[in-house]
Amino acid sequence: MCARCDISRRSLLIGAGALAASLTTGRAQARIRPADMVPLIGPHFQPTDTDEQGLWQLMERAEEEISGSNLLIKDPQLVGYLQDVIGRVGGPAAKDMRIYLAHVPDFNAMMFPSGFAVVFSGLLLRMRNEAQLAGVVAHESGHFLRRHMIRSWRDMKRKSDIFAIGAMAAGVAGAGAGVYMGDYIQLAQLATILSLFRYSREMEAEADAMGARLIAEAGYQPMEMANVWQQLIGEENASAAYRRKHRRRPDLFDTHPSEDARFADLRISAAEVTVPGRAYETGRDRYIRTIGPIREMLLEDQVKLNDPGASQYLLNTLALDGWNGLLRYYEGEVWRLRNRAGDDARAAQSYAVAVAYPDAPADAWRWHGLSLIKERRSGEGKAALGKYLQLKPTAPDAPFIRQMIG
Amino acid sequence: MSMRKPLWALTAAAFLLGGCTSVGEGTDLGVYQLVRTKPTRVGNGSVEVIPPRAWNKQRRFFFFDSIRWVEDWTLNGPYLDGITFVSGLPSGEYLIRQRKTEERQVPKFRSDMTAPEVTAMLESAFRVRGGAVEFRTLALQPRQFMGYPGFQFDFEHLDADELWRKGRAVGAVIDGRLYLMLYDAARSHYYANALPDFEAMANNAHIRA
Repeated sequence: MCARCDISRRSLLIGAGALAASLTTGRAQARIRPADMVPLIGPHFQPTDTDEQGLWQLMERAEEEISGSNLLIKDPQLVGYLQDVIGRVGGPAAKDMRIYLAHVPDFNAMMFPSGFAVVFSGLLLRMRNEAQLAGVVAHESGHFLRRHMIRSWRDMKRKSDIFAIGAMAAGVAGAGAGVYMGDYIQLAQLATILSLFRYSREMEAEADAMGARLIAEAGYQPMEMANVWQQLIGEENASAAYRRKHRRRPDLFDTHPSEDARFADLRISAAEVTVPGRAYETGRDRYIRTIGPIREMLLEDQVKLNDPGASQYLLNTLALDGWNGLLRYYEGEVWRLRNRAGDDARAAQSYAVAVAYPDAPADAWRWHGLSLIKERRSGEGKAALGKYLQLKPTAPDAPFIRQMIG
Repeated sequence: MSMRKPLWALTAAAFLLGGCTSVGEGTDLGVYQLVRTKPTRVGNGSVEVIPPRAWNKQRRFFFFDSIRWVEDWTLNGPYLDGITFVSGLPSGEYLIRQRKTEERQVPKFRSDMTAPEVTAMLESAFRVRGGAVEFRTLALQPRQFMGYPGFQFDFEHLDADELWRKGRAVGAVIDGRLYLMLYDAARSHYYANALPDFEAMANNAHIRA
């Protein structure tokens, strides 16, 4: 049922559909060295071949549609920040690329063939620092700089029959023009537009290598890119394990070494691009400062999806940089929404810990109070609810809470 | 509850694709039943309401949407407006049918849930099932429902189809069971259009003796 989650959260992992092409060869992909990755386009690139020009025209329509979507987060500070990051790791096309932030709670980012990127807000939640974000953005830039979209487009046209291509092109145009036929959850599935461009494993490896080079040149800690990969895999596994099943697509991933190999390759590449003696930054402070104002919203978006495995993994990952009231509060929310036997007690404990931190959100006091009342500790509970109303006097649920306090 | 991605819609789509020759506006394919302006039992039949005008009840399909305490009505189609009736959902049951292995799940109802917990459950339903990317609580206040102390929950949400929708839920936990009426409609025009119907029914709803 949840098509949105099925498609988009996974597409970064599988590289928008890195399909069987290289799997069937049955041999390990040799690692691509960052040093070999030179950008294939320069500044102000414009397509000259007619097929690429046609593709760009389609993409202009898609970009127009996307840029006007009310799913975008348009906060100038955040968007400016993302633009700065792509400006640092976009290589020769840095000044040409545009970046949009979509309010979708999934771990995803994508580059379109004409050089604009869409980052999902769920990605910002999952990055621990600017270097990680830069790693993902650089990987996407790598696809553009290495001309992967047009390469895969041509490759597919060679292989597929012309009618299928026509139908898919119409689909892109339709999606671009906002004509959504049949399905009504389209825009959150921007990735589906990109399913046209199936990057091969080799292209993913190229983008990884190109990305490692770009972030290292920009002065970011190159190892952070491998860490992102590790976090993504870890979250996938935690989410699936929680619902007592193997990760999705077990046929593709569980038997294939590529995921470990890719992680290993990223680590080797990171070591390779590291220049001894040069200082590399993670940009954590800048990242937290910029993301800070929306972090509560991002956590809310994730935790309310009631995917306890993924949410817990995520909270624990973020807590590697230190627990705080916000993270403890959402830890409680994960338990409360999971709602198995004993979870209410676990949630109550997390809320109680959360409110001990100075940065505890007002809602932590709300749920702390409600938990206490359920535990029949009415006096303490009412006091906590009073604190909630004191912190958030205009809370939309104030009339109900006031009645509870009596 | 339909949540904009109703299973029955998939079923309907399957019917449409499955060799139906006359697909058009007037074709209901038996998905809807007319509800007339007279006392009407909803859900499992334990609650009765009197609609002020005719509505359309979504027929339930065995195997597809067989939560017997839950029933969906619409006036202009489920993308534009709808009322979900929950007629005494017992503890440990879900509002919607879902597989245990789905990563993202609507939490199950428990009889000791307070109103804030019930509303959080509804929010998750909109996020998980409805694909809401933004959800705002507008108000939560006490309100009597069918003669019992309950709550009124007002909210709005932006769904992944880029449409803002607005809703109101009125409910109460009575003898450990959840009784609820949930109204959800496109925020512009449609919400205001059918709100009086919802209010009338929220006020005339009663548990059958």
